[in-house]
Amino acid sequence: MKLAAHELVCCYGPTRAVDGVDLEVAGDSILAIFGPNGAGKTTLLKALSGEHRPDGGWVSLDGEAVTGSDPAWRGRVGVVSHRTGLYMKLTVMENLLFFAALHGVADAGGAAVEALASVGAQGLARTRAEALSRGQRQRVALARALLHDPDILFLDEPFSGLDPSAAAALEAVLRARRSPERLVVFVTHDLRRGLGLADRAVVLRQGRKVMDADRAECEPKELMALFSGDGGNPR
Amino acid sequence: MTTLRWIAVIARKDLRAEFRSGGRIAAMLAFSVLACFLFSFSLDRGRVDGRDVAAGLLWLTVLFASISGAGRTFDAEEEDGAFRHLLLSPVSRHAIFLGKAAANLVPVTLVAAFTLVALNLFFGITAPGPLGLHAAILLPGAIGLAAAGTLFGLISRHSSLGDSLLPALTFPVLVPLVFFGATASSRVFLDRPWDEISGAARLLWAVAIGFVAVGALLFRYITDD
Repeated sequence: MKLAAHELVCCYGPTRAVDGVDLEVAGDSILAIFGPNGAGKTTLLKALSGEHRPDGGWVSLDGEAVTGSDPAWRGRVGVVSHRTGLYMKLTVMENLLFFAALHGVADAGGAAVEALASVGAQGLARTRAEALSRGQRQRVALARALLHDPDILFLDEPFSGLDPSAAAALEAVLRARRSPERLVVFVTHDLRRGLGLADRAVVLRQGRKVMDADRAECEPKELMALFSGDGGNPR
Repeated sequence: MTTLRWIAVIARKDLRAEFRSGGRIAAMLAFSVLACFLFSFSLDRGRVDGRDVAAGLLWLTVLFASISGAGRTFDAEEEDGAFRHLLLSPVSRHAIFLGKAAANLVPVTLVAAFTLVALNLFFGITAPGPLGLHAAILLPGAIGLAAAGTLFGLISRHSSLGDSLLPALTFPVLVPLVFFGATASSRVFLDRPWDEISGAARLLWAVAIGFVAVGALLFRYITDD
């Protein structure tokens, strides 16, 4: 499996949030997209997942163009966004069963229990989402994204609001998803945690890709310099 | 079959959340009672027969109550960004629209039935006409209002003007619905034969179906980024 972005451009009015980004990530790997605030990370993630229609360029999976308007593509991706996307008046289990039904999951109840267990949130099934803490909601949001066993998982700042044990559990879940038929792409500004998890790292600044390298080639100091704007020759 | 199942799943979820929060339906019903109560004071019932004005008051009350409720159709979706995830699911856009409109139909129908009873009570109407005919007129009206409310509720959410834009958008569009609905209902209140009612009733159904079809079509374009 190979996900690629070709000369991707996303604009908000006159501002180019993503400016001609080329990207390629193969199965069995976890890609981290780093960048300071306003670098275009979330917009790039939205364009890759199909949520945001790019103003230029295109996204492909195994060479075939994919767009968010294709229900089959939407069925293959799972998304964890900055906001948890839960229905506050519904219980955790009701939330999961609802999304499982939308994705046509055969054994919705079993899949929901399994997904909750995988993120260590099995005790929350009967709790209304409005009664959960930020970290608990984030866990449930991850469980929702895993429900239909997506081929590609997109996560936007997945560690924000998580305590150390929940963050470690999330890392374990994401590592366990490494397989040739699966991809994980996440966005973060947490360099230490991101580099600890990723196989590849891309750094964005002002919408442009300023670094794209395997984890082994990444020097934290160089990344820090790119963050602060002292570096930036595209590679 | 899948589309029907999606519609049912979305409508059931919306209604469950709706009845747990309860605020919107309670506000719509309270508005209905208050409007009927105030209307009953504004007319000299010694000179005016309640049946002559009941249809107009019925449709105005249902219209205002529906639009006030429509503004909150997407409250649960926007609370923590759930709508984004609904749109990211493989469900077709028209199934999402129809599911949400179906859920909207329940409070609008409740308000219509409630207002009909309240009007009869406050105006002392003892012979309001056949109940079945009232239902046959109010049902397409409620369908049209629910569809328009769902569509314009979404449009107003996407606008910086928010809910204040809703009446300005919806009222002009709903003129045919209210016109045919009030015409048909007034004839039912006056116990006219079906021949005199059927023309307006058919046009009312046509307008309601048109709202549903156009709503389902436009919803896709509004929600596509």
